[in-house]
Amino acid sequence: MSLFRRRHQELDEEVEGHLRMAADDRVARGENPVEARQSARRELGNAALIHETTGDQWGWRSAETLLQDTRYGFRTLRKSPGFAIVAVLTLALGIGANTAIFSIVDAVLLRPLPFHEPDRVIQVLEKTKGQPYYSVSGEDYFDWEAQNHSLAGSSITTWTESYNASGAGEPETVTIVRAQANFFSVLGAPPFLGRGFAVGEDQAGKDHVAVVSYGFWRRHFAGDANVLGKTLELNYEPYNVVGVMPRGFNFPQGTDIWIPIDHTVEGTSGRGNYSFRVIGRLKDGVTIEQAQADLSAIAARQAQLYPDTNRDKGVRVVALKNLITQDSRDQILILLGAVALVLLVACANVANLLLARASRREREMALRATLGASKMRILRQLLTESVLLSLAGAALGLVGASSCITLAQSTAWLPIPRQNPVSLNTTVLLFTTLVSILVGVLFGLAPALEASRINLVETLKESTRSVANRSGWRRRLRDGLVIAEIATCLALLVGAGLFLRTFAHMRSADIGVHPEDVLTMAIALPSTKYKALPDRRAFYDQLLARVESLPGVEDASLAQTLPLEEDHTWGSYPEGAPDWRAASVPETVNFITPDYFRVMGIPFRAGRNFTPQEFNRSLAVSTEFADMAKQNHNLGMKEYPELACSAILSRAAAQALWPNQNPVGKVFVSGNFPVQVIGVVGDVKDSGIRKAAAPQAYFPLTQDIDNWFYPEKIVVKTRMAPDSAVAAIRSTVQQLDGSLSLFSVRTMQQVVAEDMEDTSLQTTLLAIFAALGMILAAVGIYGVMSYLVSQRTHEIGIRVALGAQPSDILGLVMGHGARLAGLGLAIGAAIALVFARLMSSLLFGVAPTDALTFLSVILFLSFVALLASYIPARRAMRVDPIVALRYE
Amino acid sequence: MKPRYQNRIELLQGTLDLLILQTLQWGPQHGYGISQAIRSRSGETLQVDTGSLYPALHRLERQKWIKAAWKTSDNKQRVRVYQLTPAGKKQLAQEKSRWEQLSDAIAGIISPREGSEA
Repeated sequence: MSLFRRRHQELDEEVEGHLRMAADDRVARGENPVEARQSARRELGNAALIHETTGDQWGWRSAETLLQDTRYGFRTLRKSPGFAIVAVLTLALGIGANTAIFSIVDAVLLRPLPFHEPDRVIQVLEKTKGQPYYSVSGEDYFDWEAQNHSLAGSSITTWTESYNASGAGEPETVTIVRAQANFFSVLGAPPFLGRGFAVGEDQAGKDHVAVVSYGFWRRHFAGDANVLGKTLELNYEPYNVVGVMPRGFNFPQGTDIWIPIDHTVEGTSGRGNYSFRVIGRLKDGVTIEQAQADLSAIAARQAQLYPDTNRDKGVRVVALKNLITQDSRDQILILLGAVALVLLVACANVANLLLARASRREREMALRATLGASKMRILRQLLTESVLLSLAGAALGLVGASSCITLAQSTAWLPIPRQNPVSLNTTVLLFTTLVSILVGVLFGLAPALEASRINLVETLKESTRSVANRSGWRRRLRDGLVIAEIATCLALLVGAGLFLRTFAHMRSADIGVHPEDVLTMAIALPSTKYKALPDRRAFYDQLLARVESLPGVEDASLAQTLPLEEDHTWGSYPEGAPDWRAASVPETVNFITPDYFRVMGIPFRAGRNFTPQEFNRSLAVSTEFADMAKQNHNLGMKEYPELACSAILSRAAAQALWPNQNPVGKVFVSGNFPVQVIGVVGDVKDSGIRKAAAPQAYFPLTQDIDNWFYPEKIVVKTRMAPDSAVAAIRSTVQQLDGSLSLFSVRTMQQVVAEDMEDTSLQTTLLAIFAALGMILAAVGIYGVMSYLVSQRTHEIGIRVALGAQPSDILGLVMGHGARLAGLGLAIGAAIALVFARLMSSLLFGVAPTDALTFLSVILFLSFVALLASYIPARRAMRVDPIVALRYE
Repeated sequence: MKPRYQNRIELLQGTLDLLILQTLQWGPQHGYGISQAIRSRSGETLQVDTGSLYPALHRLERQKWIKAAWKTSDNKQRVRVYQLTPAGKKQLAQEKSRWEQLSDAIAGIISPREGSEA
């Protein structure tokens, strides 16, 4: 501003100097000073005009005009605070919601992973017929690592494991990832303190080094800068802290500590063990497709060399970011779509308000036009005003959005990938600014165009009433806005309705267990301290006996995995099948104690439960198997009679192995184990409520009692509120071994709720957005209808005077409302169909074209629309013709 | 923005720009000095309208053909002095040759050679 002023002052000085020199020259030629001055001024001409035309040359005219318009806009808005407040609040709602959701889009989908050249970071998966196997076997990986030509580096890691961290303070269960030494350099993520793993540290004997996460460093070491070299006790073994990762580093999500993996075949237990994750970095210039082709060629060679294990296997190379974001992409985009719709409704409302204002400001516009403002100039003035409104709305919306974002930052809330923090950063602010300017132009343009179409003579001459009547265009515009609002609202409501139905279906879905009064918790028994299988068994037996004797505990059992969370899969085929490959059935396996079925309420359909003898047998078999595997890595695809054991199948598993036969007593082969079926139980949903129950096999816990991958789950049926048993169980564990801790303590109902977390969050948010849209649309319809009635008071008065009945008037107004609603609903239904199709992958138990949802939403919206026009219609009915006609 | 108005200026501009640039080639000069120089060099024929001179100076400045600086004159007054830039010199050469072409063409029409009429 001061810049403009200074430039103008300088120009004044320049022209003044010109004048002075001209006058001086004249005086030098002998004129008298006063006359000289006057003639010089005459010669100069119109100083103001010189000023004006010269100022035009600076190219700042538009900036100066903008400043003027903004100041004027502020003044006019201050003069109608009611209008300004309603408009700004409406826009703040819309823009704020968009900002909040966009900050999530930005963090999860837009920002690259926080690694060096993140586009080159990939994950390699195994795949098999029909299903992509996410996990990789160590021996397969070593071939890829040695033979590929497309990767600059690759690193094998475990999935997250639970370790016992002891030493100083309370024992704590921490999340560990074991990784090849080059893990951090393959990702391109240097530590914040110290170093990553050194070459060779991924060998047994040298591997007692640890890199800790920023969060763990702050929590456990109080952010001590001298942490390097300190000792951390993990599963009773000392680890030397060599590095601390930076604050944002969170891969794999939730990891507290990274330690080296034993980078050998022994360390990764053979070709048949699919338990690992492989990440890689593409060589410079190599595409994902080229890497895919390269690794596929290796996999094809493996299939020939090791037909037993690898015949149907292949590899998949996926950009790491896609893998991380794939589950949340649809959900987040649906939410973004929904908030965009809310913003559209908000825009329509504000546009309506502006239209109403425009008719009141017609004389002002006409006056400005008479005083020489061009149509363009008036349009600019009005658009500046509307952008001012939307910027004010954005500012207010940002305040609301920032508190939502703070909420979203806490890890517990919002189940999304968190490689980047959700934050109100420059990108988000830029988005908000752009959106608000766009929105300002969007809702301001139509009213502004309308207002600048002034017929000077008519407007200045005519009365307000006839002016309002003249504008058929304006009325159509209003009608259009109402139609758009109803249509948008319908799409939003249908979306929310479909999610509500999905949520209801999921709640009432039969999981196959009774989750009431069941408490679950995990315990990881370190293999370092409890190495011998019988020791582990003895610990568990003692634990169960003690827990069962606690007051309020009805039954206690152990299981390797919980319903809805199982992912431990084995392949099985009926003994004696002519082609084992064709007869093979993938089963999820669980290793349990006999009371598990009673605790979970899983019914027996045939046969019986395990006996203590079978538990002993399984312990012997797994010991035998471990010995055999130690001597010979490749036991081949054949059954060993000495490994015979027993299992209980789910109905689906029995049906898959021996369709329509009695399975009890029959034998199936799983890996090298011939397994006799002793019983059949009901199906349990194993990998989520949305998915059908897969075939399942239950083995005695002792069959797989030292699996590092799965911490054991204690599952307890209580006679009281499950939560109240936690303290007693915790102290029971402490009495048995003071260095152990319980973790992920949840009631079974919480486990079920966690499976529905995404859906319930989606449903809640969509319902909120739909409700917002609804309220805005109802206000919009009401506003337009009232305005219409007030504009037509005169006409209605005449009609009543000519004998129209109140019911005719009611019909006149309501009919108009109904026509708009009808059109809006028809258009909205079409939009909703598209919207619903986009979210079909997120629905459960309800089709995207669900008639019940559509019909009820349409009925509901019609009701709201009619109600919103009924109130003004009643006012119209009461119009007193005398008053209305005299009003003129 | 204001096409009619600009067209009118454009018509005068061609020559005025040329005259200003040519004047500044003899040395830096302030606005009044430029108008006086044009007037005296044209034998008092050309009177530069101040209302056109200053817009033209500021436009040429914006196009970076001339640059301006505040200087203190002999009688201790602050004056804005304009000076030709290298880009301005190039522009002057172009304008000059265009002007010569134009005046040749116009001269050809107004006073045709004897031979062509016979």
